[in-house]
Amino acid sequence: MKKKRMKSVLLVVITSILAILFLFPLVWMVFTSFKTLSESLSSAGLFPNEWTLENYRAIFSASADSNMLRWTFNTALVTLVGTALVIFVDVLAAYALARLNIPGKKIVLAIVIIALTVPGIVTLFPAFYLFKGVNLLDTYYPLILPYSAGTLGVFLIYNFLRSFPQELEEAAYLDGATQWQVLTKVIFPSIKPVVTTLGVVTFLAIYNDFLWPSLVTNNDEMKTLTLGVATLVQGSNFVNPAAMMASTVVATVPALLIFLWANKYFVKGVTNSGIK
Amino acid sequence: MYMTKRTKWFGFVFVIPFLISFLIFWLTPLLYGIWISLHDFRLSVGNNGFIGLQNYVAILTPTTLYHDVFMNTLKNTLLFIALSVPPLVLISLGLALLIDHLPNRLKTFFRTVFFLSYAISVTAVSALYLWLFGANGGFINNILLKTGLISSAINWTGDQPYAWFVIVVATVWWTVGFNMLLFVNALDEVDVNLYEAADLDGASAWNKFRYITLPDIRNISIFVMITTVIASFNLYGQSLLITRGGPGQSTSSLIMGIHATVFGNNQLGIGSAMALLMGIIMMLITGLQYWASYRNKREETGQRREPKQRLKRALNAGPTNVSQQPATTVEKKERKIT
Repeated sequence: MKKKRMKSVLLVVITSILAILFLFPLVWMVFTSFKTLSESLSSAGLFPNEWTLENYRAIFSASADSNMLRWTFNTALVTLVGTALVIFVDVLAAYALARLNIPGKKIVLAIVIIALTVPGIVTLFPAFYLFKGVNLLDTYYPLILPYSAGTLGVFLIYNFLRSFPQELEEAAYLDGATQWQVLTKVIFPSIKPVVTTLGVVTFLAIYNDFLWPSLVTNNDEMKTLTLGVATLVQGSNFVNPAAMMASTVVATVPALLIFLWANKYFVKGVTNSGIK
Repeated sequence: MYMTKRTKWFGFVFVIPFLISFLIFWLTPLLYGIWISLHDFRLSVGNNGFIGLQNYVAILTPTTLYHDVFMNTLKNTLLFIALSVPPLVLISLGLALLIDHLPNRLKTFFRTVFFLSYAISVTAVSALYLWLFGANGGFINNILLKTGLISSAINWTGDQPYAWFVIVVATVWWTVGFNMLLFVNALDEVDVNLYEAADLDGASAWNKFRYITLPDIRNISIFVMITTVIASFNLYGQSLLITRGGPGQSTSSLIMGIHATVFGNNQLGIGSAMALLMGIIMMLITGLQYWASYRNKREETGQRREPKQRLKRALNAGPTNVSQQPATTVEKKERKIT
């Protein structure tokens, strides 16, 4: 027994060391954002000798070459509307495919699965050219709408519903519930875990998408945070690591908070689907 | 279910939003892309007429500019896959095994820690590693110079093999947590009783892993392998922002090559053909991986074991038990096959 205890203490120690190594870049990012320019360029230590908020003041000031506030607003709008749209579209489609004996069901299911195997790169440039053709570059439409064409969500929810007992819904129908009532009162609560998982995955995918927004956005005003950070990295005069890290902290913290909040649902969703 | 014909058609309404979106943002671009790839299509002025397969010929015939771009970036991308996939799969499995053996209370905590970096965007990851590994004023160089380990700054992002090293480290750090989560969940479902029985009978740690754990996480391992190869194929942000494709064009990825063809050279037709070729190559490699794993599985089905037999195997394979078991010669032979 003593040997077993020793072994588990050793495992915890090893895992902790790895965890510290893993978190180091993030911790370094945060501390560097509070350093002065000269210190950030020469520093070989983690903590600032002289703490400063100058970097944050600079990136949010009116004369800044970055547009941090606007980018944050764009990101919030695009990710929230985009995620809601994906969930709405996918839940309705998956419900109809799994529960209603609709015409053409097999064809739609085949489409969903075939589309999953086709790499995204083949549609990217033509989609950009189509948006260009209808003068919708530098608007919110290409930043939000195309994500709802993804079939992964339909596939996940469809599979989840297929393995879920139908008795409850049938009882509701017998009691005179309408289809809409069954959908909102019976189906929605039961698919919550998989929808939450889809929601978080979609949110992070839209938040962190880089290539697609970079194709359909030129105007600085229309950039998302992810795209904005790329602009800063590529900017020729942006050679200030402290200010750079302040920007990445601002661009990263919202996603990290959402992620940490959703983490418990994530784990639950995966566990629930595993029990069955 | 109790439904009339009318409600059947009514149910179709639920699928319509998805179908419209799919039609406009997926099917149309796909078909349009194929159509564009068969035309002399410029980004600035549009269509200059049908040219059949000439774009594909231009890409696949040696000594044309677009052949060089495509082949060079394809070669770089395949090299990146070879460099990044093994650590992404092995490190994630190692972390998952480590976490699986921790006390329950700590599991969730460490799982979150190693998964945390997945929530960061590729541009933030690139900005971070660009300055950790910066040549002048970068943190790693500052430390190495101050401790006297090196006498002059290493050009991490501008010299090979350092450039690939930084890109691979950044990528592994960024995405290894996702693979780890998949492995952790698969390990959670391995039958605990088997481990306990094996422990009682004194099976070694390696044999427990080989004969109890590995067969149970086989499917998820194949899934992780395939999705990781696909993800590495899509290398773009890291090499665009950390090394700018350099030194020379040595870290320029396929997507960067296609992007440059469309936007730098104004050739939307050739770029679309390149994108389709890339898609076909990716699907072929994915198919090959499926086929290879499926073929192995078929070979193995003949000797698929019930839990009890797997346990027996884990024990028999250990050198201590060999002499006591009459059946070991057969067991050992089978071990070699698998």
